[in-house]
Amino acid sequence: MNLGEIGLWALGAYTLILMGVAEVARRARTDLTPSDHFLAGRHLGVFVLFLTLYATTYSGNSLLGYPGEAYRRGYSWIMATGFMISIIVTFHALVPRLRPLAVRERFVSPGDWVSFRFGAEPAGPALRVAIGGLMGLALANFLLAQLIAMGHVTSQVTEGAVPYWGGVVGMAAMILLYETLGGMRAVAWTDAAQGVLMLLGLGALLAWLLGEAGGLTEVTRQVSALRPEVVAVPDLEERANWVSTILLLGLASVVYPQAIQRVYAARSGRALKRAFALMTFMPFTTTLVVTLIGLAAIPRLEGLGEIQADTVMPRLLGEWAASGALNAMLAAVVFIGALAAIMSTADSVLLSLGAVVAVDLLGRNREDPATTKLGKRIAALVMLAAVVTALWPAVTLWRLIELKMELLIQCVPAFLLALHWRRLRAMPCLVGVVVGTLIAGGAALAGVKRIEGIHVGVIGLAANLAAVAAVEWAQGRGASESAEDMRLGRSR
Amino acid sequence: MARRFRLVLIALIGVLYLISIPWYREAGEAPAIWLGLPDWVAVALGCYLAAAALNAVAWLITDLPDEDPPSDPTGDGASR
Repeated sequence: MNLGEIGLWALGAYTLILMGVAEVARRARTDLTPSDHFLAGRHLGVFVLFLTLYATTYSGNSLLGYPGEAYRRGYSWIMATGFMISIIVTFHALVPRLRPLAVRERFVSPGDWVSFRFGAEPAGPALRVAIGGLMGLALANFLLAQLIAMGHVTSQVTEGAVPYWGGVVGMAAMILLYETLGGMRAVAWTDAAQGVLMLLGLGALLAWLLGEAGGLTEVTRQVSALRPEVVAVPDLEERANWVSTILLLGLASVVYPQAIQRVYAARSGRALKRAFALMTFMPFTTTLVVTLIGLAAIPRLEGLGEIQADTVMPRLLGEWAASGALNAMLAAVVFIGALAAIMSTADSVLLSLGAVVAVDLLGRNREDPATTKLGKRIAALVMLAAVVTALWPAVTLWRLIELKMELLIQCVPAFLLALHWRRLRAMPCLVGVVVGTLIAGGAALAGVKRIEGIHVGVIGLAANLAAVAAVEWAQGRGASESAEDMRLGRSR
Repeated sequence: MARRFRLVLIALIGVLYLISIPWYREAGEAPAIWLGLPDWVAVALGCYLAAAALNAVAWLITDLPDEDPPSDPTGDGASR
């Protein structure tokens, strides 16, 4: 049996298991409220919470985009391990303040925080819509990246028996079905199983690659001979980009709607902090592993183009499978793990997208079962649009990640700053979001990715923060002048 | 006390992040190989490992109560 046949069998078995899990989750639901559908009734314990956070964080981007970027950029991509840890560090600024409030106020969507914090102010509703809009766009982009990754993996590992478009369309339909049936419960349970598969599979693939090459030192020597510039100490622009990437990913990832919803969904604060303590080590078992896989691919798969580099992982899986029957079986396990990781992220994104659009953008009641239904319909529509776009991939997976983060990072002041700065008001935040988004979005549309290595999104955030400070200062000054006028008026 | 210790740990993590980027090296310099990796990569990895360990401790000592917090997240009622 070759990889194509094994891949097809594995794919069939996997989809059947998914459907079974969705049905069990559907029967386990207690009611039809958004809280039960989108947050699994807020009962996720430490083990499931950890694995669902893990499988959601490490997505198709990690499995295809990161090895592809390591292949393109070389050893400086070690920064990926750093930025993945920085996300868990940055959560310190969000979770201890947001979590107790979310429990008390029964938040469902990220915008519930914005409404709670700024809802009483005139600019509050506009800010909630702006944040919801940015998050919705970022989630749609994220979904697109997962669909592209699914198409690549499925077609490569079934050796073309399932074409790229078939992988995109078929897997999208599968996700839609089981997310609609099972909600967060099905997503979290399958995430847990997928997390374990992914860990085992990636480790086995790296061990095989290094064994074939004669060890890590030999890989580094071979890369050094082929492309010495990617082994040498990086230049100033690359170092600036290193800082910028850590800031971009570290800050923007904590306002991922699906990550915020998992903070809401935890059974207890104790479960949550233990899950985060475990999560901080996962970049070493995943990001570092996929980075090394991408580096080991440099001498093995010479001459891949910019977009083609995103297929490094499935190509390596193909080579691994061709090297023997046992390896073909193991490659199928990795394939399922990879596909599962991609799907687990896509389903989480879809789930959050429904909540963000229905609750935050359209302002529907978060306790009403009709909101759940509306969320599912919106998710289906966005999925359809993403499937059509994914059929003709035009940019690399890493570029899609950057674009998403450049938008999301503009939401940071409304969360991190608002949680810690008690005088911050809605209007300065709104002006900041608009200024930052115009800069980041405008530059992206003009084709500008970075300036001297710094992402335009990070530059947009700096302008965003400056605008927040300026408007806050002007408003504060205006308020104190009015108070002074009143005081003088009274004294006359 | 635990809160202050947590802040110290987070500050140390920040320092490790600064050290992880090879500011101390000449651009384009050919590196030695340590543990199978270019030396500047091995240093970065060591920094990240230490940062992860400190971060895990910081999370474990974080006070994350489930009971109701004060009525305002920022403490003065300004937000409502």
